[in-house]
Amino acid sequence: MSDPLLRLSAVGKTYPPTVHSSERLRAFWQILKSGRSEGGARVLDSIDFEVRRGESLAIVGANGAGKSTLLKVITGVLAPSSGEIERQGSQAALLELGAGFDPEYSGLENLRMNAAFLGLGRREVDEKLDDILSFADIGESIHEPIKHYSSGMVVRLGFAVVAAVTPDLLITDEVLAVGDESFQKKCIRWIEAYLEQGGTLLMVSHNMYQVQKLCRHALWLEGGRARKLGDVFDVTQAYLAWHERRDADAVRQSTGHATSQTYGVHALAIDAAGEGEPRLALGEELVVRMALRSPDERPPVALLGLVRADGTPVYGVASDHDEVALQAGQDGLYHLVLRFPGLPLLPGGYVVRGHAMDPEGLRVHDTAELTFTVTGRSRELGLVRLPHHWET
Amino acid sequence: MDTISFSIFGQLTARNLRSHSAGTATVSLWLVVTPLLLLAVYGFVFGVIFKARVPSDLEIPFVAWLALALWPWLAFSDGALRGAQAIKQHAVLVAKVPVPRVLLTASNQSAAFLLQMAGYAVVLVALLGLGVDFSLRSLPYLLLILFSLYVFSLGLALLLSAVQVFVRDLEQLLPTLFMLWFFLTPILYVPEMLPERGSVLLYLNPMTWWVGEIRAALFYDKWLPDLTFLGLAAIALLTLGIGKKVFDRLSPHFEDFL
Repeated sequence: MSDPLLRLSAVGKTYPPTVHSSERLRAFWQILKSGRSEGGARVLDSIDFEVRRGESLAIVGANGAGKSTLLKVITGVLAPSSGEIERQGSQAALLELGAGFDPEYSGLENLRMNAAFLGLGRREVDEKLDDILSFADIGESIHEPIKHYSSGMVVRLGFAVVAAVTPDLLITDEVLAVGDESFQKKCIRWIEAYLEQGGTLLMVSHNMYQVQKLCRHALWLEGGRARKLGDVFDVTQAYLAWHERRDADAVRQSTGHATSQTYGVHALAIDAAGEGEPRLALGEELVVRMALRSPDERPPVALLGLVRADGTPVYGVASDHDEVALQAGQDGLYHLVLRFPGLPLLPGGYVVRGHAMDPEGLRVHDTAELTFTVTGRSRELGLVRLPHHWET
Repeated sequence: MDTISFSIFGQLTARNLRSHSAGTATVSLWLVVTPLLLLAVYGFVFGVIFKARVPSDLEIPFVAWLALALWPWLAFSDGALRGAQAIKQHAVLVAKVPVPRVLLTASNQSAAFLLQMAGYAVVLVALLGLGVDFSLRSLPYLLLILFSLYVFSLGLALLLSAVQVFVRDLEQLLPTLFMLWFFLTPILYVPEMLPERGSVLLYLNPMTWWVGEIRAALFYDKWLPDLTFLGLAAIALLTLGIGKKVFDRLSPHFEDFL
């Protein structure tokens, strides 16, 4: 029961150079002699993880992080350049819906062929044919050649075959991104039922909502390396926060730093336990500490904003909105603390922006930024948790 | 081979058989007419124009002498050549579906081989109808010889299809090489026509032995296998062994080089 269905130890993959025929010949001899070829571009580097029966693991990462290559290596379409892969039990892989379809043949013929690719014998196909056809729901078109199908129909047929297979380990690569809304829901319902019955899932998806809904664990790949492996919420939140920050990089470049000749932000901090980037749980109190300076001993106006890591504004408030006057401390700086009790921000990456404005509150003279992460297990959508209650 | 692999192999082979006959009015007509036309053409060219001779101890038309060896050769070379293209032809499957790759080559090769065998059957029946005298009790032995030829062809197909992924030039080269091999095999001519030195070379070619054994069976009433057949079977199995070994070694890396 606790035996892993899949175990990867130190798996690495390099794509060999294949442009020149001399390179191909050299690789040919190397593989014939030693079973490995040398050199090339590294796309996966020492990946370790295992998938146990009943587990569900998502692989997330930016484009080019090596997700698809990893799946190809796991399914055996590609040979790993280093490391070991152990497999137990039956495995059905959907690297691309309809990949095994031949457009010249009818849906039914392709269905049989694909079922065989996924490990379903002829007799089993006959037994399950009605189920498959009703799942695919493409009617009489099943007797038409696939080349006359819409892409949606191809997807339906492709997934319907998989749904009939029920392997020990199901591997899918971004296959639920296609097909219309209602079919996606049907697929997700099927996967949920499959997981409830003890099925094991390994999936690649860019849809974090799907990932959080279907998987309990996640692996974040970046540049071919495992950056984070663990609970699906921790990993996807860290991944999303990283993504949003990367998108916001360009925006951040443009914020200048004021000289001492003008109103400026001297310090900006968030109260949080531990080293490094502040981390807060959903619903905790956010405490922002700020110190401003003034060139002429007139108290500046503090403006504080919360934005999501991708730059979406969430909330902003200035000290003069609330008619708060800043007081100079003994060090000549204007210290202030802003508290947000019961922070309603949903899990993700955020930025606090502290601005120093002139005493009239008309112009922003300086800006400082500080990123922080809100953690928590929540599948709610949007930026903030609004107070609500259900009535039924 | 487990049942799933067998099912995949069967379906792929059936598809291959059908793709050969796609676009023709009826498959059965095509299967019968083409070999007969080919037989007529060869009979005209070699029997009427070149007036080629059969070995002096046989009283049969030259076209029978030729046909008996030609179709097994076609099955062998078509099988090897079409099998050799299999991995490239099924590049999408190789890239996206974890299917045992050996089935791709084997089904291509088997379909091509079977198709020529169907033609062979038609031609043999036609020749019988024309009054050519065959040893009918040798038919089981003929099947055994043909099966060993199938194994030989399969071994070559596996070897070539794997190597061709890495050595792309092979695709251009192979048809020419096989044509050369065809002329180095006594199919269109009688081995005795060659001078002494040439005939030594001829007997280093395993296909000479296969062709000879097939003719011995049907024309010379050889109906039991002997040492020659054991030799052929050994060559076939050895080729299959080497082909499979090379294929298994290279096949995990196909996707990198396709």
